[in-house]
Amino acid sequence: MMNIARRKLVTVTAAAAIGLALATSGCSQRAGSEGGASPSDSSAEKGFAADSFIGVSLPQKTSQNWEDAQSLFPQKLDELGFKNQVQFANGGVSEQQNQINALITRDAKALIVGPIDSAQLASQLSQAASQGIPVISYDRMITDTKDVDYLVTFQPQEVGKLQGQSLLEGLEAKAGHPAPYNVELFAGSPDDNNAKIFYESAMEELQPKIDDGTLVVQSGQTSFQQVATQGWKPETAQKRMDAILTANYSGATLDGVLSPNDTIARGLITSIRNAGKEVPPMTGQDSDPESIKLIAEGVQYSTVNKPTVEQVDASVKMVEALSKGETPKTNGESDNGSKKLPTQFLSPTLVTQENLCEVYEEDPVRGPIACANS
Amino acid sequence: MGSLLSRNLRQFGMVIALAALLVFFQVRTGVALTPGNISNIIQGNAYVLILAVGMVLIIIAGHIDLSVGSVAAFVGVTVALLTQSGVPWALAVLIGLVVGIGVGAWQGFWVAAVGIPAFIVTLAGMLLFRGLNQVLGKSQTIPVPDGIIYLGTASVPEVGPNTGFNNITVLLGLLGVAALIFFEVRKRRNATRLGAPIGPVWASVLKVVLIGGVILLATYLFATAPIGRSFPIPGLILIVLVIVYAFVMARTPLGRHIYAVGGNRAAAQLTGVNVRRVNFFVLTNMGFLSAIAAIVFVGRSTSSGAYDGQGWELDAIAAVFIGGAAVSGGIGTVIASVIGGLVIAVLNNGLQLLGVQNDITQVIKGLVLLLAVALDVYNKKQGKPSIIGLVQRGMRRSAGTGETGVVDTTQPAQPAAEAPVDTSSSRQ
Amino acid sequence: MQETSADAPARTRASTGEALLEMRGITKRYSGVTALDDVSLTVRKGDIHAICGENGAGKSTLMKVLSGVEPAGTFDGEILFDGEPCRFPDIKHSENAGIAIIHQELAMIPELSVAENLFLGSEQTTRGIINWNRAYATAVQLLEQVGLREDPDVPIKSLGVGKQQLVEIAKALHKNAKLLILDEPTAALNEQDSQHLLDLILDFRDQGLTCIIISHKLNEIERVADAVTVIRDGHAIETIDVREGAVDEDRIIRAMVGRKLDSRFPEYTPDIGEPFFEVKNWTVRHPEVPERLVCDDESFFVRRGEIVGFAGLVGAGRTELARSIFGRSYGTYVSGTMSIDGREIAPKSVGEAIKEKIGYLSEDRKSLGMNLLDTIETTTVSAALHKVSRGGVINDAKSFVAAEKYRRDLRTKATSVEQGVRELSGGNQQKVVLAKWLFTEPDLLILDEPTRGIDVGAKFEIYGVVQRIAAQGKGVMLISSELPELLGLADRIYTINEGRISGVLDKSEASQESLLRLMTAQRKAA
Repeated sequence: MMNIARRKLVTVTAAAAIGLALATSGCSQRAGSEGGASPSDSSAEKGFAADSFIGVSLPQKTSQNWEDAQSLFPQKLDELGFKNQVQFANGGVSEQQNQINALITRDAKALIVGPIDSAQLASQLSQAASQGIPVISYDRMITDTKDVDYLVTFQPQEVGKLQGQSLLEGLEAKAGHPAPYNVELFAGSPDDNNAKIFYESAMEELQPKIDDGTLVVQSGQTSFQQVATQGWKPETAQKRMDAILTANYSGATLDGVLSPNDTIARGLITSIRNAGKEVPPMTGQDSDPESIKLIAEGVQYSTVNKPTVEQVDASVKMVEALSKGETPKTNGESDNGSKKLPTQFLSPTLVTQENLCEVYEEDPVRGPIACANS
Repeated sequence: MGSLLSRNLRQFGMVIALAALLVFFQVRTGVALTPGNISNIIQGNAYVLILAVGMVLIIIAGHIDLSVGSVAAFVGVTVALLTQSGVPWALAVLIGLVVGIGVGAWQGFWVAAVGIPAFIVTLAGMLLFRGLNQVLGKSQTIPVPDGIIYLGTASVPEVGPNTGFNNITVLLGLLGVAALIFFEVRKRRNATRLGAPIGPVWASVLKVVLIGGVILLATYLFATAPIGRSFPIPGLILIVLVIVYAFVMARTPLGRHIYAVGGNRAAAQLTGVNVRRVNFFVLTNMGFLSAIAAIVFVGRSTSSGAYDGQGWELDAIAAVFIGGAAVSGGIGTVIASVIGGLVIAVLNNGLQLLGVQNDITQVIKGLVLLLAVALDVYNKKQGKPSIIGLVQRGMRRSAGTGETGVVDTTQPAQPAAEAPVDTSSSRQ
Repeated sequence: MQETSADAPARTRASTGEALLEMRGITKRYSGVTALDDVSLTVRKGDIHAICGENGAGKSTLMKVLSGVEPAGTFDGEILFDGEPCRFPDIKHSENAGIAIIHQELAMIPELSVAENLFLGSEQTTRGIINWNRAYATAVQLLEQVGLREDPDVPIKSLGVGKQQLVEIAKALHKNAKLLILDEPTAALNEQDSQHLLDLILDFRDQGLTCIIISHKLNEIERVADAVTVIRDGHAIETIDVREGAVDEDRIIRAMVGRKLDSRFPEYTPDIGEPFFEVKNWTVRHPEVPERLVCDDESFFVRRGEIVGFAGLVGAGRTELARSIFGRSYGTYVSGTMSIDGREIAPKSVGEAIKEKIGYLSEDRKSLGMNLLDTIETTTVSAALHKVSRGGVINDAKSFVAAEKYRRDLRTKATSVEQGVRELSGGNQQKVVLAKWLFTEPDLLILDEPTRGIDVGAKFEIYGVVQRIAAQGKGVMLISSELPELLGLADRIYTINEGRISGVLDKSEASQESLLRLMTAQRKAA
């Protein structure tokens, strides 16, 4: 009984401690914000201290780009004196929601958000807006909410266009026979706004050639819904390719593949090799070191380089401008469904075997791989 | 309600752990106990806690449900599509609940009537309803209207005169304390009338003061929070569900029957329990609660998406087991499961506030789950009953020997020696 | 100490008088509770040594200590086996030393064949691969030794409990056991199988095998034992050497319970009224084998205040009959009628049967009788929750009061009604299950083996309860495999054979012989 009594005492004390803490913090807050929340735009004008806390919330760590971002963001923000925190939401949308809430609770003065799902963060962002925290949409556009202030992204139309063009180039250079060429098409995740733009822009290049018979899609799968890869998962794309090869290419040769990014491209290469076929010209995106090696070896035809460092730099510069109370520099606008978003568009570059070394020379990770043979 | 709370807080240790975690994170971050953060914890985890309420019933009955995430995703997309096609949001929510019940009944049918293990039925359901979610939603994000967003994100509204407090929160808190006192008094009066032993008055007073104190503190906290940040609506939904289900499990024949089926199915059948009906009920009910979780979640996310609900089943199951339920069924309580879920939620939130990376957080969560259950197993092996059990038994004993001569102290019970040996006998 | 008696049976014996096993000063504590206190036991080579004692006296603990289930070091005292001091860290080591234990609950895997079960853990392998031919041949040989002529390839579940027990013994023989420990070997066996098993043990004894047999059945002990050790409350009370005098049941009982039992059955004068419960032409199919009838056109009745016995061999269909009456909880109903006080009833579920005021106490307390996670209180009220609830809400105080009343009435030994039923001894568990059915206030109470695995003292008390139920004008159907129990308690006894009632005897005309004859007889053509 003594023991029990002691345990009870502990609980009472604990409860009292919590209560006290709650009471002191709770009281002041209501009074403080009685005046109502200020809209985000006006607060952005006012600026914030140069050692403020900046929150960075990024999606699942699925490719090298995100690994790079994880080290680049702290590096760049530290340089400017900002306290900062980068968090990845490997557990999905609900985890990202909770992380953004936590960043707001920690009194972040600006948020850089790379959303997992472009439309499922609205309530967290409205909380940010109500506390006057500016939000920068990073890499992927946050849609259907007014509570986002800027967008930093590589022009997705440009990426798709480069992919489409390079596929056509590759076919001519490598197919070894005149048209028609057999090609298969793959796209990114249907819930990623950019994936659709990549594909549509690529198709702007490819569709005329399909119409005039230069390109033939043996599987007949050309709509975005048909070619999309849920969650950008390479194994999903790989399975689809397995099925297509079995069903349509037992007699025919496959002359080229439109792949939306490097990880999917590698899945597709595996599938094609397993089927005992030559790997035809294959596009990509993201400059994954693995894929750079494949390009150097002549297996993958091309990738689209979107240097993470440029994207991080642009985002951090926006934060810096905001902290000084200035309006960040942008070079365009995007419609996110609710508002026109001031956007800093960055230009991607196409990488093939020819310019491989030249592009990555400076890169500590990719440089040695890219320039190994030259 | 009060009696329910104390009766069910078997995992008293978990309550202490929860309080300790909160205090620890408050000390380390300085913001863990702000009303805003508490709101975040409740809103960000309400869906898991709601699922845990249904999951513990399933686990007590000796089953498992792997489909809850997919069912929630399916209901979510259904509701979103309905509102998109012009159905008023309230009606869409209602239809969503009916769809949830329907899905639950579908799974209940296979388990209860056909006799397929719930593990398999719900594994099938997990694939089935995930697929349907993606077919219906075309794997895209579908926005929901403000009414549903309100359910997922809003706080108790500001009503009435400006008292400097959130009036509804104050009212609810006071009602809670009043109910606590009322039920405690009624319980004592009832026991006295029937001649059952009652604990000493100080124990009742202590209980009312402790639980009432916690309620009042929470009330004060949320009533003084900034406008629009007082007690969250999903939290209110959760509290109502916890009270209803804790009551059903502790105080109604249905609850007893669920425990009986999980504890010993054959014996339950020969005691007059309709085992099929119980199995059908727990699964149907899970569908219903999955639907509620879905609505709260799409509200919070302002839209339904293709990945909604992924991994939720595991979160809910983890909460239930941290709350002390047994894998073999028959053991567990609603409140302990919600506390188990809160432990994980607070841990998650605290680690995020500390800026611990997601990968490390997962490692810590895994260890916590293992440790909590290991501790429980160790305690059971030692033959130690729960602390609350000890307190209550102690009270009744002291009352009993004095007033009614309840205890036959001259005859020691069967030596405990033989008891621990057959811990696993005759479990089906 | 030892009494000598002139009519000591002259038996052939292989015993040499030399000790095979000596346990000295064994003391074992479980978290503060002393289960064994300085117990010493000496078993001579070639003896059948019986150990008796009430449930919870410490018999099983002693055997666990001996077989290494309780590893050396967790208890005090020493064990000498075959002259060698032993410290077994686990059961594998004691097996290797030649100690084989056959538990009350058989450790057979039902889906595997006889041969597979026989060699489980000691597979007949050639270079790591199971040699089925050798296994088959060895199995046939081993089965022959225990008098079984079964195909080793048939699944073990197709054999009856008695035969499974023999397979278990064959398994022990295969491991070259020097000491065979049998824990309640006949508890689940019918009369015939029991006799066969006991004969077999006597045979083994004559071939030089030493046995320890734990049993409640004093008549069996009397028949086979060369020495008897009585354990009570963790102490070895007395060891009786049969060579020096016949074992006397009363003496063992006296040692077991620590007092003298004047009678095995309480004094009781039945007050029997008119027939009120009638079953006519009751026919039920086996649930899995539809062409088999487990109850075949059975008719019987029960009078108010009457205890009606049901005798039969295991598998004769007594339990099946009882459970099919009890809300069709067994088999597929084919035809027949049932009536209470002339009113026809047809309960189709257990719930309906309880509403019709029928109660059924199952034969298997632990797996069918209760939820071991429950307390005394929750178990007591579990079959009649409506009696302690109002408006669908259970009233805790009411349920406590009800449970407490029955705990006192039945004199259940427990710290309080909030004690878990798992912690109770078999006898007290049975009282709680009995309380559960009494609380439903049945007009007809079916008791299926109500005293199985219960010690003498608790049996006596349960007999008293059964008589009190009858005295209240209720009907009792008593199913029992122990003929003395039926003869001592029942006012009238039906015998059942192969799903048919083969006869009925009044208490006055029933005897072990007449019952046995009817139990194996075919029903006369109607």
